[in-house]
Amino acid sequence: MIQATEFDIDTEKGNFRFDTDYAFDAGVGLNPDVVRYISNAKEEKEWILDFRLKALDTFLKKPLPTHWATEDLKNIDFDVIRYYLAKGQKPSRSWDDVPEDVKNTFERLGIPEQERKFLAGVEAQFDSEAAYSNMKEGLEKEGVIFVGPTEGLRDHPEIFKKWFGKVIPTSDNKFSALNSAVFSGGSFIYIPPGVKLKQPLQAYFRINAENFGQFERTLIIADEGSEVTYMEGCTAPKFETSTLHSAVVELVALKGAKIQYITVQNWSNNVYNLVTKRAMAEEEAEVRWIDCNIGSRLTMKYPGVILRGRKARGEVLSIALANSGQHQDTGAKMVHAAEETSSNIIAKSISIGTGRSSYRGLVRMPKHLKNCKNNTECDALLINSESQTDTYPAITVQGEGNSVQHEATVSKVSADQIFYMQQRGLSEAEAMSLCVNGFVNDLIREFPMEYSVELKRLIDMEMEGSVG
Amino acid sequence: MQTLQESTAQSIFDTDQFFSTFASERSWEPGWLADHRSDAWEKFRKFKESPLKDENWRFSPKHLFSLANIQNLSSGKDLVQLGAIESDQALFQNLDKMILDFPNELSTITEQKGPDLGATQTYCLTSALADNGFFLGTRKNAEIKDPFVIEHKIPKDGSITFEKNVIHIAPFSSAVVFEFINSGDSTSRGNASSTLNVTLGESAKLVRVLVQNANTNTTLHQFENFSLGRDSTLRNVTIHIGASHCRSETKGDLVGRGASFENFSLFMGSGNQLFDQRTRQVHSSPDCTSNLLSKNALNDQAKSIFSGLIKVEEVASNTNAYQTNRNLLLCNDAEADSLPGLEILANEVKCSHGATTSKIDEQELFYLLSRGIPLRSAEKLISLGFLDEVIEKANNEDLIEKVRAIIESKFDS
Repeated sequence: MIQATEFDIDTEKGNFRFDTDYAFDAGVGLNPDVVRYISNAKEEKEWILDFRLKALDTFLKKPLPTHWATEDLKNIDFDVIRYYLAKGQKPSRSWDDVPEDVKNTFERLGIPEQERKFLAGVEAQFDSEAAYSNMKEGLEKEGVIFVGPTEGLRDHPEIFKKWFGKVIPTSDNKFSALNSAVFSGGSFIYIPPGVKLKQPLQAYFRINAENFGQFERTLIIADEGSEVTYMEGCTAPKFETSTLHSAVVELVALKGAKIQYITVQNWSNNVYNLVTKRAMAEEEAEVRWIDCNIGSRLTMKYPGVILRGRKARGEVLSIALANSGQHQDTGAKMVHAAEETSSNIIAKSISIGTGRSSYRGLVRMPKHLKNCKNNTECDALLINSESQTDTYPAITVQGEGNSVQHEATVSKVSADQIFYMQQRGLSEAEAMSLCVNGFVNDLIREFPMEYSVELKRLIDMEMEGSVG
Repeated sequence: MQTLQESTAQSIFDTDQFFSTFASERSWEPGWLADHRSDAWEKFRKFKESPLKDENWRFSPKHLFSLANIQNLSSGKDLVQLGAIESDQALFQNLDKMILDFPNELSTITEQKGPDLGATQTYCLTSALADNGFFLGTRKNAEIKDPFVIEHKIPKDGSITFEKNVIHIAPFSSAVVFEFINSGDSTSRGNASSTLNVTLGESAKLVRVLVQNANTNTTLHQFENFSLGRDSTLRNVTIHIGASHCRSETKGDLVGRGASFENFSLFMGSGNQLFDQRTRQVHSSPDCTSNLLSKNALNDQAKSIFSGLIKVEEVASNTNAYQTNRNLLLCNDAEADSLPGLEILANEVKCSHGATTSKIDEQELFYLLSRGIPLRSAEKLISLGFLDEVIEKANNEDLIEKVRAIIESKFDS
């Protein structure tokens, strides 16, 4: 908590933009030539190009999922989006190599100097290429690989090719197909057996071009008995027209491994954030998604865990905050595919103004399995009378000794609570903010300290002007 | 399942010829009803399925509910039997009698809508071809304690019957309705599709209990639409024990301020039975309460689908809405699918839903076994205890005993 004053996050989220000249630019729109151009610019092998072209085909064939999702998806104009941009620079090794204008941007993003020194590895993504990466030598000695997808597939195919596109197949949904066709940027991470990283790996993302979609691709493989925490946080400049962000994140936790994946999403309110995230958990492995969605116009994100090995455990903790003009459509998927697996989902959402937050869940336990357990809790808080919240879980249970419990509640901050605090000298807005922070407090505590401080501030900022 | 219908092209409902024959046989009906039927027929024929998967049919093997292979329309005119009543406070007649003698009382059916929760095409067909059913209308201020009893019989030999049932509870009156669905014998194939539209006036009260124990060669469609006026109270208890496939769509519209809607249902399934239940609680007025409880006990390969949604409109402040789904799996092959949903647009609300699925608690079972009760009996006792929460909502000792006996006999067979 004391650290809170040490770094100053940009309180005018996204109200800035630097002119940058793009060395590679694939132009607007999407066709096979754009895909070939991206592949060529990245000097990729033939099989990756084939993979991309097939994915493009799938993307064009698949309909928008508007039979269950919001009609707002129809407002995305795929023909005016830039699918590839890069600084044309290789990931830098030291801070001095990073161009001045990029540094400026990070300064405004609020990555504190102090933090840089302590963090084990910083992979700050500027547009679609890694602009700066700094990994402590110690990590490299332990055999940890922390690179972008291009380097990952080029330099370590023996590790990454096996799992690339396996947890989330190209045809999983329209947007995973889109990502598979045009992906650039992201993180490929491999943790060798038994290596337990004490400090989290981090990446900062940033969008900085009008109508430019960011399609990063992340693949984390935690080998037997290893442990890793990965954090991603985003902020984007404000633009007039809608921007598309469609990432694919695949996690593989081999026997006994533990992966914790933390996201704080704070895109500006014109971004479509359509992300596919899924993990595979082998025997006794543990995967934990901690997901916080504050920004974007529309977020559709349902982190999932396929519990493939005995006694595997999956967990999703999520916080969504939907302000006016926003729709946070988030949730979780737990597919039990082995015996004695357990899963836990805790989702909290707050709707402010005309904001809408939705929870969509999927829990599946097929009949050949025994003793699987799931617990799901969804709590929604409505701040204003125009706020909206929805809950759409889907649960299928068969088999012996499997048990599932799902519970959802919807409530508002009571007038009593506000009155009590106003009596003690707090303003109505402060009282409301306190109530909201109390509502999500038990989840926020699960975040690493610096994130929880940042989150509380972001929530306070969002609450500004929502009452009175 | 459009493809199934196209490929076989056997359905009697595939030609307009069928409908014109049907209409000519009922030429004695008033013109507005004939128009209503032909509009519904048009809608049925023109019904286009969305190329995308329909969320309202999620988890459901839709083809099992197809009407494509039905060979004939039942000509039975006695499929809906009404119990005798002594009260002069109500009009209680079967459909044909109503059309002949009291057509004005029925005229509202042209404005009636179905629950529209997926099987809308079948609803349209039912509206077009309904030639069985009952009407119950109470007088204002009438308090009728004796239950109105309706027995629905499933036709035989693979034929189908379409029913249109209407209940009007006038302002400040109250009534109790018991409905039973049974088959003529235990093996004959039969189909039925029935719609029930209930309107409750100001401060009206209705308790409706349905006990469905058709044989296991029966396919059923049940469409229930409730419209609740100001301060009215409705308790709907549905008990499904029979039928091989039953699709049940229930919608409660809380249109008047302060209305209260309770919906309790149970399904006791065994063999290959399927119970596909879709419900919607629509709060479109302030100060209303709705409570839904759906309990399913599943043996063998039985499957239940519960898909429910609470919708709270912007104007519906001070809403209390609850929805609970509990599933008890008695066998490893049984399957319970649960889709509880909330859509909340108002903020002065208390809303919750819960869904649980599990097998019989080991300790409860051990307790009974250790006291010398055989496994089968122990399972029966626990299941009955689990389902009793719904059964006792029927609030009528004789009926409660009757239902318990049916469920027990299902275990013993």
